[in-house]
Amino acid sequence: MLQREGLSGTDSNPTTPILELRNVNKTFGSVTALRDFHASVALGEFVTVVGPSGCGKSTLFNMVAGLEEPDVGGILRFEQRSVHASDLLGRVSFMPQRDLLFSWRTVIDNAILALEVEGVPRKAARAEALRLLPEFGLAGFADHYPHQLSGGMRQRVALMRTFLFKRELMLLDEPFGALDALTRAMMQRWLLDVWQKNRRTILFITHDVDEAIFLGDRVVVMTARPGAVKLEQRVDLPRPRSPDIVTSPAFIEIKRTLLAAIEEESMKSFTAATSTEYAQ
Amino acid sequence: MAAASKTSDGLLLSGRAILRLVVGVAAIAVVWQASVLLFGIRPYYLPRLSVVLEALAATPDAYIASLLRTASETLLGYAAGALFGIALGSMFFHRKVLKDTLFPMFVVSQTIPVIAFGAVIVLWFGNTLFAKAVMAFYLTFFPVTVNTLLGLQSVDPAQVSLMKSFGAPRRQVFWKLQFPNALPQIFVALRLATSLSLVGAMVGEWFGDTVGLGVLLLQATYNENVVGIWAALLVAAALGTLFYAAVAGLERKLVFWRVER
Repeated sequence: MLQREGLSGTDSNPTTPILELRNVNKTFGSVTALRDFHASVALGEFVTVVGPSGCGKSTLFNMVAGLEEPDVGGILRFEQRSVHASDLLGRVSFMPQRDLLFSWRTVIDNAILALEVEGVPRKAARAEALRLLPEFGLAGFADHYPHQLSGGMRQRVALMRTFLFKRELMLLDEPFGALDALTRAMMQRWLLDVWQKNRRTILFITHDVDEAIFLGDRVVVMTARPGAVKLEQRVDLPRPRSPDIVTSPAFIEIKRTLLAAIEEESMKSFTAATSTEYAQ
Repeated sequence: MAAASKTSDGLLLSGRAILRLVVGVAAIAVVWQASVLLFGIRPYYLPRLSVVLEALAATPDAYIASLLRTASETLLGYAAGALFGIALGSMFFHRKVLKDTLFPMFVVSQTIPVIAFGAVIVLWFGNTLFAKAVMAFYLTFFPVTVNTLLGLQSVDPAQVSLMKSFGAPRRQVFWKLQFPNALPQIFVALRLATSLSLVGAMVGEWFGDTVGLGVLLLQATYNENVVGIWAALLVAAALGTLFYAAVAGLERKLVFWRVER
């Protein structure tokens, strides 16, 4: 019942949307990555995006990060104004899937990369990053180089780099995808903690349905390619959320709905993939 | 993991490397001296090392003057060639039109043997130190240009996107990402160019000069002074090795992160 109401979206945005996409299409040659994509993210909202692989999630993110323009006719609105994707360069905090750390920079210097680009003096930027190190589980590693770190630590450095680039909207592309289950659960709780303190708007891609529900105010399920919104599901679980919430009936109810939708789309993309294989 | 003590590791390594070098040189010296004595090799083919060293010690001033002269020619040409090559490679990277029009011409220029240029360069610049430096320059800049371009092109496009998403202008993308990323590749050429530039300088000297290792070599050859040939050769080898070691040392300092691969 509760979820049905959420679906209608009437109660969803009491605050103003920071980001809106309307009629957004994106084609690369003969491939349509996004078709007629609509979405809106409210200020301070935590929206998670799930969908089968290759559904255009990364295209969506590249667009919102300002790296790719939508096809003609698509409308992008940011902070209530119509914008070109390229206007968003430098205005959205973007964390790609891979950590992309610079091997010649220490942990601290990787973390302050965005601040340096903005022109913050190195000394001040470093001081700020040093204060954050313990919170990111990197205390004592300021002067290490990326090749000296574990995968989880590298990911945390990348996350720290994203956090230090203080923008209202953060895009996180499967930030915990490469981490082991235990570290991942810790990182999720930690992220919620940080988010609750700072209340920035987060758009978060993941493959993991549990993660999507646990973190999000709202889960967007995408269709198989071409990507569109299959389902929007409000998550009205109380915050702060404790780890055992994943076993509560409400959580499981939401999960059931989402899994059904994802299953359907996964099957579609699977059959599409196999049929093209046969065709070749 | 081992890199936790990276700096001390690096020092240790270079210390060990020096030791290895000393042992290696000593071994060659012993083999040289011993085989000449043992197999009775005629001095015309290979004089004893001790004789060559004695010759060096007899007239050290001539060798030192020549060494300094050739070293300055080489260094001057090398430095100019390296800077020019890096600048040219960066320009080609940013302006594809320039690359497409100019690059083939540079390739053609490199197919002309440096010897063929020698006479012209001497005509243009006279019998000066500068003329020899031009030869060293000519042999240095091309590999550096090519490797700079390759290095700049090898950057991960996702990293460029990341920099752009931070709002970085092209300039910053270049200096903070593309250039440091190209350094390992650039240093491959810089190491190669140490010996090339030395060749350029010595060959340049053959077109007429009075001081220089190339001059000593040429004079000794004309006079069939076998010991003199070997003496000049030894000094040139020492110069080349030292030069290479200095550049390799600089590389280890600047491109320390290469360990990653």
